[in-house]
Amino acid sequence: MITFGLPKGRNLGPARDALAAAGVGLADLDASRLRQRFSGEELLGVELEVLLLKDWDLPLYVEHGIVDCAIVGSDVLEETQPDVFQPLRLRDGRSRLSLIAETPQLPRRSGQLRAATRYPAWAARLLAARNLHVEVLHLTSSIELGPLLDLTDVAVDIVQTGTTLRTHDLHEVEILAQVAPTFVVNRASFHAYRRRLSRLLGALEEAEAAGD
Amino acid sequence: MKISAGLPTGVSASLFDSVKRRRRLEALLSGLLEERGFAEVLLPILDYFEPYRPLLQERLLKQLYRFVDRDGQLLALRGDFTPMLARLLAPHLDDLKLPLRLYYRGDVVRHQPLRPGRMREYSQLGAELLGGDPDEADVAMLTLFLDLLLAARGEESGGGDDAALRVVLGFAGALDEALLATAGDGAAGELALRIASRDRRAAGRARLTEVVERGYPSDLSVLGGAAEAVTDLLALRDRLAETYEARSVQVEVDLAEFAAAALDPRVGVSAGPRGYYDGLMFAAYAPGTALALGVGGRYDKVFRSLSGDCSAVGFSFGLDLLTELGDVGA
Repeated sequence: MITFGLPKGRNLGPARDALAAAGVGLADLDASRLRQRFSGEELLGVELEVLLLKDWDLPLYVEHGIVDCAIVGSDVLEETQPDVFQPLRLRDGRSRLSLIAETPQLPRRSGQLRAATRYPAWAARLLAARNLHVEVLHLTSSIELGPLLDLTDVAVDIVQTGTTLRTHDLHEVEILAQVAPTFVVNRASFHAYRRRLSRLLGALEEAEAAGD
Repeated sequence: MKISAGLPTGVSASLFDSVKRRRRLEALLSGLLEERGFAEVLLPILDYFEPYRPLLQERLLKQLYRFVDRDGQLLALRGDFTPMLARLLAPHLDDLKLPLRLYYRGDVVRHQPLRPGRMREYSQLGAELLGGDPDEADVAMLTLFLDLLLAARGEESGGGDDAALRVVLGFAGALDEALLATAGDGAAGELALRIASRDRRAAGRARLTEVVERGYPSDLSVLGGAAEAVTDLLALRDRLAETYEARSVQVEVDLAEFAAAALDPRVGVSAGPRGYYDGLMFAAYAPGTALALGVGGRYDKVFRSLSGDCSAVGFSFGLDLLTELGDVGA
């Protein structure tokens, strides 16, 4: 049996759709239940146990081997840097990590800029790579409120459709990185299920190519 | 004053039954090693730092706990047995009767990021074979590695292929030519890291999809000068599989596993469990574990960098992981 972790939240839909297109139908998946079993179809040739967990917790479950593989946002992977294999980034459900401000350009400050983000480590790396010396403040939600309430000068956050930015009259100053739901595998599980997982990953790639 | 029972981050104590299990395992493995002619060495926990600068990659040097002692010497706590042993033996190679079979056990200390199953102080048991015919030495040490692994697990476990132990084989620098041909000097390192992470799109661009899928390409010529060595590696895998697959150990060639253990400086990375290997490499995994149970390989370049010339191959196991494996087997 392969234990598969799926993320609650924005990545669940794209993950489920991608798996369905690859031949792993999870039509009966109940988003309110933690643990569910599926036949796994011919593609995997083994029963599939699906665990629905929070995106931020999934890397740890995979790294520990509690979950063999999972689909997790690359934003979470960049922030948590787990020691797991990352064989495939999915095309559906992509978004971007952007630098957001109340003005179209980066605000000018005599001192250090302040940025609000839910990704303090990743944002610090990306901003440092641009020679921007920024004090990074960690917020857990409503990141756009940082600049709006003058807690910070800018925000570094995920932008999908841009609706939140328009609602608050905020500007996407710069795209810092692309974000995508990413298929991750525990190192030992990869070796244990190499052929089965390679079939699944190949099918996911083919389904995406067919949809282009 | 109330005294805390806490220990530093990444450090733990073993008490009661866990100590008995660990000592039983050590006795079993050291007994097997001595039966095969390996002699135990006891190495110090405290050593000078400077001799390790040329031997270890930057990442590992940073992980060493180092401090200035009261005499003004820069010292380090033992972070690895193999380079220490090589450093002590290299000046005496002419006087030693080779081949030399040695084993060690004890704690190593590294200030490494805290990840699942990874401690900052942990116990290793390892063995080294110095001198002799390199090809024969590789086979002998790999066989020993497998036998110790089986002894630690206990007799054959059930559960079919998925529950088998996995031993993956490769060698340092095997993908260097293919990586450089695809990505050039500037991006070969990044490509190596992506292939080590089994990134299918990156592998596809480098026409190395088979390397991430099944471990090696069907057309070995894409590996350039490494093709012959991979042919030999596949033959070695077949030879080992004959003996060990019936005992629930799957032996596979997986060049992606060691993609980041580059030898060509133009690739620009030398990551992986230890950066000093320059030939055969191997690692063992058990299902549901976070880390490799053991790793090993050929490291002649360590002796070369110490102005010595000696065939050297060895491995080490994480004793805590092996103890858990035995508990599962029991």
